[in-house]
Amino acid sequence: MLKRLLLVRGAEIALFALLAALPLWVQSSYALGLLTLLAIYGILLIGLDVTVGYLGQVNLAQAAFLGLGAYVAGIGATRFGLGIPATLLLSCGFTTLVGALLALPALRLDGPQFALATLSFTALCSTALNEMEWLTNGAQGLSITRPPLLGHLLTPRDFFWVCLALLALTWVMMRNLLSSQWGRAFEALRDSPIATDAMGVGTYRHKVAAFAFGSGLGGIAGALYAFNFQYLQPQSYVYELTVVLLLGVVLGGRKSLWGAVVGAALVALLPNLLSNPVLFRAFAVIGFAMAAIAAVRGLVRRSTRPFQALAPVVATGALVLGSFLQKNTEDWRKAIFALMLFSVVVGLPEGLMGFAAGALARLFRVAPPPLPPAASLDEVLPARATTGEPLLEVRALHRHFGGVKAVDGVDLTVRAGTIHGLIGPNGSGKSTLVNVVSGLYTPTSGELLLRGLPLPRGSLLQASRAGVARTFQNLQLFTGMTTLENVMVALRGAYRLPLPLVLAGFGRPEERRAQAEALALLALVGLEAEARTPVMDLTYGAQRFLEMARALARKPELLILDEPAAGLAHPDVVRQVEVIRRIHARGVTIVLIEHHMDVVTSLCDVVTVLDGGRVIAEGPPDQVKREPRVIAAYLGATAAEPDGPGPVAGAPAAG
Amino acid sequence: MKRLLGLLLCLTATQALAADTIKLALTGPYSGGSAPMGTSARDGSKLAIEEINAAGGLMVGGKKLKIEIIERDDEAKNERGALIAQELAAMADLSGVIGSVNTGVVMAGDKHLQEKGITKIICPAAGSASMTQWLDKPATNDKPAVAGPKSLSIFRFAAHDAVQADLVVAEAIARGLTKVALFHDDTNYGVSGRDDMLAQIKRQGDKLTVLTQEKFKIGDKDMTAQLLKAKSLGAQAILIWAIGPEEAAVSNGMAKLGLKIPLIGGWTLSMSNYIDNAGANGNGTLMPQTFIEEPITPRAKTFIESYHKAYGVTRIPSAVAAAQGYDAVLIFAAAVKQAGSTDTRKIHDALEDLKEPVDGVIATWKKPYSKWDPTDVTTHEAFRREQTVMGMVKDGRVVFANEADKARLQKRGAK
Amino acid sequence: MPFSIVAQIAVSGALMGLVYALVAYGFQLTYATSKSINFGQGELVMVSAFVSLSLIDLGLPYWAVVPLGLLFGALLGLAVERAAVRLALEQKSEGWILLTIITGLFLFSAAENVWGRDDRPFPTPIPSAPIHLLGVDVTGLEISVAVGVLAVMGLVELFKRRTLLGKAFEAVSADRDAGELMGISATRTVMLSYALSGGVAALAGILVSPITTVGPTMASAMILKAFSVAVVAGLESGFGVVVVGLFLGALEGLASLYIGSGWREAPGLALLILALAVRPTGVFGKAVIRKV
Repeated sequence: MLKRLLLVRGAEIALFALLAALPLWVQSSYALGLLTLLAIYGILLIGLDVTVGYLGQVNLAQAAFLGLGAYVAGIGATRFGLGIPATLLLSCGFTTLVGALLALPALRLDGPQFALATLSFTALCSTALNEMEWLTNGAQGLSITRPPLLGHLLTPRDFFWVCLALLALTWVMMRNLLSSQWGRAFEALRDSPIATDAMGVGTYRHKVAAFAFGSGLGGIAGALYAFNFQYLQPQSYVYELTVVLLLGVVLGGRKSLWGAVVGAALVALLPNLLSNPVLFRAFAVIGFAMAAIAAVRGLVRRSTRPFQALAPVVATGALVLGSFLQKNTEDWRKAIFALMLFSVVVGLPEGLMGFAAGALARLFRVAPPPLPPAASLDEVLPARATTGEPLLEVRALHRHFGGVKAVDGVDLTVRAGTIHGLIGPNGSGKSTLVNVVSGLYTPTSGELLLRGLPLPRGSLLQASRAGVARTFQNLQLFTGMTTLENVMVALRGAYRLPLPLVLAGFGRPEERRAQAEALALLALVGLEAEARTPVMDLTYGAQRFLEMARALARKPELLILDEPAAGLAHPDVVRQVEVIRRIHARGVTIVLIEHHMDVVTSLCDVVTVLDGGRVIAEGPPDQVKREPRVIAAYLGATAAEPDGPGPVAGAPAAG
Repeated sequence: MKRLLGLLLCLTATQALAADTIKLALTGPYSGGSAPMGTSARDGSKLAIEEINAAGGLMVGGKKLKIEIIERDDEAKNERGALIAQELAAMADLSGVIGSVNTGVVMAGDKHLQEKGITKIICPAAGSASMTQWLDKPATNDKPAVAGPKSLSIFRFAAHDAVQADLVVAEAIARGLTKVALFHDDTNYGVSGRDDMLAQIKRQGDKLTVLTQEKFKIGDKDMTAQLLKAKSLGAQAILIWAIGPEEAAVSNGMAKLGLKIPLIGGWTLSMSNYIDNAGANGNGTLMPQTFIEEPITPRAKTFIESYHKAYGVTRIPSAVAAAQGYDAVLIFAAAVKQAGSTDTRKIHDALEDLKEPVDGVIATWKKPYSKWDPTDVTTHEAFRREQTVMGMVKDGRVVFANEADKARLQKRGAK
Repeated sequence: MPFSIVAQIAVSGALMGLVYALVAYGFQLTYATSKSINFGQGELVMVSAFVSLSLIDLGLPYWAVVPLGLLFGALLGLAVERAAVRLALEQKSEGWILLTIITGLFLFSAAENVWGRDDRPFPTPIPSAPIHLLGVDVTGLEISVAVGVLAVMGLVELFKRRTLLGKAFEAVSADRDAGELMGISATRTVMLSYALSGGVAALAGILVSPITTVGPTMASAMILKAFSVAVVAGLESGFGVVVVGLFLGALEGLASLYIGSGWREAPGLALLILALAVRPTGVFGKAVIRKV
């Protein structure tokens, strides 16, 4: 614990202390200028990392927010005589608001479409700044004098300290935010938006929030930028800058505050330092040596592909040759920058800090903070009374896809406290039915009632909040997280602390309670020993159990299990039956879609059989199995094997 | 990592301490859209420096010192410009700076040089907003009076945009035109040029009616919409403030739409990226010039030939910029010689009071600058209106628009 | 404003829009097979145009330069695929976004140093004199652009539908894994798509250079618009880019006329964000049903 505190926090404190002390020691105004830019870009890139790293989207709007923030501050200071604190607040508030507004249309997009929407926004902003001459002075630029701070006239060195202090503040607040439920929600969104909604987290709200946070930090950076350069022009905040910022985040290492600051150092300092031939030669030779060592190691151990090992060697080799042969390196500066970036991106795909973090972790082996003891299951999932009243009522439900009537007039009643089986051949409409109930699809027509009240239609989030939880037949886990975090994301009612307090670092007790609750649920499905394991490293069976634990974290009234045993080996199926019984014992009503007939028989109180989108039979499992219509549906019209589990039980998991 | 960085920063700041050269920084946009102007000026400057160094250098304190070049590409980006200026300002023994094309870069960077008192000659361009125009401003309704700097280390060696706009508007009036369209790009250069032209139209008695003001972006090549608007309003001439490639697109668009009216604009119309790309459509275009690539004097002839030879070209990308870069170095060298020192402040004082005339390719410069006076625009400006003549594009070259100018300059060259 | 002027502006804008469409088509080709696009496509256009110009300077006739330029573009496309895309695809990462940006930056800087920073004219035997056609002026060059764009897109589509190689291309585009199971090499198909995309970029460069001139920055203004056209049309929609390209080009001209030339791009950009918000897969893209 102490070691961890010392190493992790110690390194952060050392970084900031060193940066703060540098100007006392290096007098040059150039060094000071570079350091100030580093601090400003640090804030900017931490903001960009929220969308790029956590949300996993290519965000090309950060340059625009830098520009907007800069102009708001500049106009506030020159036209309205506002001081530095007021302009910072104003810039941050304005860009947060604009960021939230932009997130609304950008919300449904991802991949290239999201990139383009944000890029268009950048272009729109620079056009607007350029054309609104009455406000911004247009292309002729806005000259700003730096206002005094609290009556104190800032020297360049003071101003650097102001920037550094804000970077430190940003660092601490973002660390608090990103290590809370907010950060987990952002990552969940990246891995599976569908599961995020189904787990009651709300993609909408979090996407808007993530974007707004990142933009707000862009605005703060912009205000500092304005007071640093004291001259603004719209043309500075365009595509070129936005790409450089993106490079910075990825090169430094995504999802890492260290990465953002290292990335800032790279993109803010490197192009300027490369002008110096001595430094350039040093960088080239060091880079070449490192690439060569890494390549030999990688090839000998066969841990990297030949291309990945050799391409950086070739690129840095070209740099070394160029640095000694080409007299005028200034002309080739962009190409040099490109070659360096190429080597880093190919050689270290996780970014510099991603790589360094791995190496440091091996070197120091810091144990993660210990987990709290698991909470009692009675607190987490209080047993419900099993009344036998209708819980879920489906009436005359239709869902059509074009001409295909996937669900064609289904009536169904699920009674509280039962395990209700839903079976039928492939394509019979089972999955569509539960997708409608859980809110993924909007019904074409029909009625859905939960405890006699209408169930929200066509919204995973609303259905989840109403008390319906589900697992997914094709796993929808948050693959970038650990087992424990997957459950923590979904925990209902665990996070009540208002945002400002989370930012200020008061979220710790809430986090520990959430961990304890999540551990209790993991214990229920037998995964408590895997709490720290990344989901990617879990066995397939364990992932299925995790889906169940995560759905239970919603503390649902109705739990839909969509083919939970699909693809499981026999021992796991047996365990799963056991787990489902335990869940049922807590009074949770379960709808079970299943192909394994023996599982259905042993668990279900009632079974509904679907075929062609309609209910063809309903009743206790033993009775239903003997229905001729059911047998016909499974085996075709002629064959009849009344008691045959054979083909039914062995049916592959698909549909 | 950080420690290493700190070390590197120190290294950069202090690396060149031993002073047995005259350190002269050349800056400007050497890549990107304004690069043709930046590189031409740089190459012109380098030509002059090589000539000086080949002759053994400059006599300073009883010793012949060579000029050492520190080259920085500002990419036309304000942020880079500011950082470069900070870097240069932090160099202990820098004698001076020559360069800059973009007004924004100058605005963001030069204050750092001014703070440290480092002598800079703005060359070949950078519009009207440079520090040489930081005069005392009288109080207005909403703003208190602002005093200009007491001493200024920034000089300019470029035709002042207002002087050029003056000529452009005068030319249009002299041709008896009354209705014009203003075209300009949406950069600082273009917008300032538009404002200068509007101011000149007003100053010269409002004889021109501006029918429309049309904008375009750097990289736009389809000017149909803007030109058709001008055409439909009945413009008799287009006054333009932009740079070569887009100006060529305007000329080509005029040809396509059959719009046969004069095109008059800033000196960028003489750059090869206008002349080449407009081709025959560029004939007759008029622009103010400080140097025309015609070997009318022996001095100009030698310069043009050695430039062609040194850089393996048959025509200078921007002859004006190259000639200005060349002459700026000669003037700087004269100041070093007169000061007898590499100290940038002493060079500044010498520049403000140059005793010997400097025989450049554009002109023979007699006292180009005088002691800074915050109430007088011209003290740190080398170019006067009389050095500027109208040039005209003719079959791929710029020639004198008026034979009288040619004769006047030839006479001066012969003298 | 008389109708003839409005028509002229719309037609001129739309013709430029066709060039955006052609570059956008290059995006679509690679997206279809690999779900990746080359963010340095503009540099491919520019470098191919410069190489073609150098060949003309060497004295080769224009009609011989065109196929050589296309070949060079295809080779450059292959080089980009090898250096910037393949590794990322193998690792299933999005590294290609950065790596294509970086190769673009390198090509830009190299071009500045090899061919100089200046814009240069691109000689062509196609006449640039205006022709009066149905009330509007168009030049032979502009017609050649329109014909070239449509012809090459038609040829590529024909290739995809009629030849065995083309069908393999379509198969991998439709379902990469299924294609592999059928014995079609996905890697080869991706290479083919990058080569085609490079060729298309080179053609765009050769067609548009006589109008816009050749320079290191020639494609930077074009590429954002091409990107818009590709995404708004839908990254998998084939001829949809033509419609969107024509529309966007004309819209720019008209916005310039009615709102002011400084704002000419604004309506297109705003429309784009809205169009995407309404139809995330593009106007001509297929709507996706979420499956779990």
